[in-house]
Amino acid sequence: MVPKGQFSAEQSVFEEHRNEWSRAHLGEFVVIQGDKIADGFFSTYADALRAGLKRFGVQNGFLVKQVWVAEPVYCIS
Amino acid sequence: MGHFSFTWDPSDPSDPGPLIDVEVMNSPDVLEAWSAIGLECPQPVKMKALIDTGASVTVISKAYAKHCKLLQTGESEVRALGAQHKCGEHAGTITFVGTDLCPAEAIRIRSCDIIREPYFACLIGRDILRNWKITFDGRNKRVTIVD
Repeated sequence: MVPKGQFSAEQSVFEEHRNEWSRAHLGEFVVIQGDKIADGFFSTYADALRAGLKRFGVQNGFLVKQVWVAEPVYCIS
Repeated sequence: MGHFSFTWDPSDPSDPGPLIDVEVMNSPDVLEAWSAIGLECPQPVKMKALIDTGASVTVISKAYAKHCKLLQTGESEVRALGAQHKCGEHAGTITFVGTDLCPAEAIRIRSCDIIREPYFACLIGRDILRNWKITFDGRNKRVTIVD
């Protein structure tokens, strides 16, 4: 478990690239740990997860982020 | 192709909705990565889940996400009960106990404190439901799921 707010560094990296990535990779997944970005974009969450585990391992955590122009808010009933 | 059928009485005012038994655990890739470095893998946790067409994504209670030690891979926001709530995003696998439905493996599971119902700890959302054909026969009080 990673505490809330743990991904602030990764989120900053994502925000730096959001516009660029949302033009070419909308809906795809990217994997970030600290300021490091895993190679490539992934069409599924499962593929991104595997790439994150391979690149960064399981111990230090990493962000798996789907590329959207704006953050969606998911409706729960 | 998996198939599961069960009784659900929609006329019972105290009934929370169609519930199924699930087990929640980390995804196989995460378990393998833990094993490789000698960490103990948590056992799957069994809980009741509500089949919820009103939930766009699958959610479990934050307490259960912690108990299952699900690997957190992000955060997002959900809208429920007229307000927005921050929730965790975790990699996990959900299996459908006592059925031959295919497990939902390596999916994103949100964790949120909004689930305080006594009857269930998980909402099966449309991210899973979109892979199923669900039929509700109201007269015979039967729910049938085919994947």
